[in-house]
Amino acid sequence: MAFNLPSITKRLYKTLANLRTGIVLLILVGIAAALGTIILQRPVTEADQLARTYSPTTLQLLDRLTLTDVFHSWWFLTLLTLLSMSIVFVSVDRFPNAWRFYARPYRKTDSHFRAANPVKVELPIRNASDGINTAERVMMKLGWPVERISDGNQVSLYSERHRFSVMAVYLIHASLLLIFLGGIIDGIFGYSGYLMLQKGQTGNVIETRTGAKKTLPFGVKCYSAGQENYADGSPKKWWSNLAVVENGKEVKKKEIVVNDPLVYRGLRFYQASYGMTGALDALKVVATPEGGAGREVILQMGEPFDLDSNTSVTVAEFIPDFFIRDNQVFKKSDNPENPAFRLQIKNKAGGEDAVQWIFPAYNEASQGQKSNYTFQFRGMQMGYFTGLEVSHEPGQWLVWAGCVLMGFGLFVAFYMVHMRLWVVAIPDAKGKLVLWIGGQANKNKDRFEQKFKDVVEGIRTELESASTTPRSAHKDEPELTLAAAK
Amino acid sequence: MSTRARVVQMETPAATGGNALLILVGLGVAFLLITALLGAAKTGGPLFNESNLLYVALIFYAGAGALYMGFGVTGVSKYVKVASIATAIGFTANTLAVAHRWYMAGRPPFASIYEMLLSFVWTVAALTLVTEKKLGVKIIGSITMPLAVVCVILMQLLPSEVRPLVPALQSTWLHVHVTLAMLSYAACAVSFALALMFLIKDHFPTETFLALTSGLVSAIYIAIVATRFEKWGGLSVTAWDAKDKSDMFLGRGVRLFVTVPDLGWLFVMAGLAALVPLGFYFIARVQKNESFIGIANKAIFIGVLLQVIVLAAFVLRARDASYASPFQEGLYPTSLAASPFILGGLICGVFASLLYLMLLWRRTDLEALLPSAETLDRVTYKTICVAFPLLTGMIAAGAYWANRTWGSYWSWDPKETWAAITWLVYAGYLHMRVTRGWRGRRAAYFAILGFGIVIFTFLGVTYLLPGLHAYA
Repeated sequence: MAFNLPSITKRLYKTLANLRTGIVLLILVGIAAALGTIILQRPVTEADQLARTYSPTTLQLLDRLTLTDVFHSWWFLTLLTLLSMSIVFVSVDRFPNAWRFYARPYRKTDSHFRAANPVKVELPIRNASDGINTAERVMMKLGWPVERISDGNQVSLYSERHRFSVMAVYLIHASLLLIFLGGIIDGIFGYSGYLMLQKGQTGNVIETRTGAKKTLPFGVKCYSAGQENYADGSPKKWWSNLAVVENGKEVKKKEIVVNDPLVYRGLRFYQASYGMTGALDALKVVATPEGGAGREVILQMGEPFDLDSNTSVTVAEFIPDFFIRDNQVFKKSDNPENPAFRLQIKNKAGGEDAVQWIFPAYNEASQGQKSNYTFQFRGMQMGYFTGLEVSHEPGQWLVWAGCVLMGFGLFVAFYMVHMRLWVVAIPDAKGKLVLWIGGQANKNKDRFEQKFKDVVEGIRTELESASTTPRSAHKDEPELTLAAAK
Repeated sequence: MSTRARVVQMETPAATGGNALLILVGLGVAFLLITALLGAAKTGGPLFNESNLLYVALIFYAGAGALYMGFGVTGVSKYVKVASIATAIGFTANTLAVAHRWYMAGRPPFASIYEMLLSFVWTVAALTLVTEKKLGVKIIGSITMPLAVVCVILMQLLPSEVRPLVPALQSTWLHVHVTLAMLSYAACAVSFALALMFLIKDHFPTETFLALTSGLVSAIYIAIVATRFEKWGGLSVTAWDAKDKSDMFLGRGVRLFVTVPDLGWLFVMAGLAALVPLGFYFIARVQKNESFIGIANKAIFIGVLLQVIVLAAFVLRARDASYASPFQEGLYPTSLAASPFILGGLICGVFASLLYLMLLWRRTDLEALLPSAETLDRVTYKTICVAFPLLTGMIAAGAYWANRTWGSYWSWDPKETWAAITWLVYAGYLHMRVTRGWRGRRAAYFAILGFGIVIFTFLGVTYLLPGLHAYA
């Protein structure tokens, strides 16, 4: 029965529930992640850089081993899954013991425990109930919550602080799983993409990293976008005025900047980039009629502008960087360094239409076919686009919840000490009645020993002031035995 | 018992020789301060600006480091008192420098690698004082102060002008993220120093320290030679544009290198000299003949001398001179500022070797000065208990910030990934310690490994691996 299914599951469980397996997985994840940072990764590297760095055979080998995309490879995800399973199983395996410890505190000491516990003191007393009462009073005064445990005719005291700190480690592991769960949800249901909008444009189709298109359930309109610079010319701020358009209605408006996205129905729109589209937005010219005074007008690209009741002008063509050959205007590049504008002047009164060109680098005045207007270049406004990173991460709240929980868990686990005190009246080795006081802490033992000393000294002084007879046998006084367990 | 006897022996000569070092360091500090003051008076600039304050901090940290090391060697407790006063003065100057920069920039100084080093040094000095006063580990300064000095020297070379924040960095979460990073990294540095001291106290064999020192130094030289050695024995360094205060570039992201002739051979020689002790160590191990260890120790001494020569030659030749470049015709200037990490590596090598020599010559006294191995072990653990939650918080704050800026909280960028690896290493340490009861040496190795990865995450990733963390 080699393939007995229950036994295989059981063995798998046992292996993963072993802390050693967990540590090995931890190391493997670390090594794999390190590989992923040393070897260039396809999703974040340009193809030609990869080609420059590795020889074709190496690249082929790396690709085949999926080492060029470690973080999305099946084996890395398997490692992460196994690690999560290990965390769960180790926790599950250890939980019952911890829970028993938590739910049923060890309140009553026995002689074996008293002998083995390293932090303990014995104070001589005359009367068991007086001793216990004194101890209770002192402990209450020092802020220890005291429980009276009665066992037949014997009464003992038990006190503890921060018992929940023993469960903190489960909180931390749970929070880690919460973070993983958030990541998995985002990996399955989340998506992200890029949306490029020009001024006045509304868009609802984003392009994902793989180049696929995805349609959003609502549109986003860009009213305006811009950049502010520092005095030295480096960018200080990028902003976009956005509105959410749903079913033809504007439902939300916001100006976003780099660290402050627009959020609507779980989708986030981040300011990611900003730049020129290469197209003209507006042209500012002074239009002068024949024999008249000029006036400044702003011409929108492609929109006719009425100069008077008979004449209208349109910016018909914009060439960002021109050159002339055979008396024709051609485009050299997309940089708006040497622009040319073609103006179409229409005469509605039956006159002839005219075409004029403006080449601001050479002459501010327009030239070309004769018309009853001339134009002087005054300035131009390039069209800008704003690049929005769009992401949908339904699992991120789990991640943040996990982070907060982990912070809390770590605080409790590292800085809250589970401290316990036991007080019982028993006869000592010589048969004299003593008050046995013992204590335990799960961490930060030296600090606890100080606290323990405070309690013991408090009880000792109370006991001494209560007894009317002066102390006689000085050497009978017990020593603090605080030797830490080696 | 023999330990005790040696200490008594040591204290008699130290009482007379004790003041000599104090006077020497005092004179050195005074001399440097007066020269700096005269220099500042000559230029007529404001006296209390950031770079002057930082210079004062550097002088006092260096003096404190010398005294801490002197204490390590002689055990004169007066040294520690004066050293911690010097540390405190340096720390005050450092604090003022941070405050000045903060005031001038109108924002906390966390935006460039220079500013992060500034905060890191500040935190290391603060933790040194705390560890010394509260936890009683007096000698910790002999490791952390040289570290601070190396960082401040590095800072003198890095571009330091206050740059305005690019849009992605304008976030409160950035401050939270970087503060937590600096705090946790400094705590890791202290835990590293404590772990080393634990090993010393725990009778970790001196010859293993020898092998480690030799290995570390030769690794530094091999790394430099492997990446920078040019044909005909030259050494490549980045060309430096003094006007723009930045590296020169051939194209986008491609630095222009110039070749300093003959310097390469010197590096090869020093590297080989650093390897020699390691070789003798292995011979001694294989042949089980302890006399080779003696030879190895002599070789370390020679190695230190060679390293100092290399350092001097490098400083003299790579400082403000022009050399030919194999990539483009013409002569191009270079400067120490163009190669901070070569310089940093060289200084680290010298310090590591000197610390080893200190250990070799004065081990018994050192051990007598340290708290018990158990205390050191516990304090190391406690420091990591401080570092780990801070590290967690740093990663979480960084993720939150990335989410607000780029729209994704985790993108496996190298810096992120290495921060996660650091986290995993310390998580492993805590698990082994709590559930398997790892104490002592194994825990100390873990603490040392952890700090090595922290340094790699902090500096190595920035300069070796490309990624989104372009700012620092």
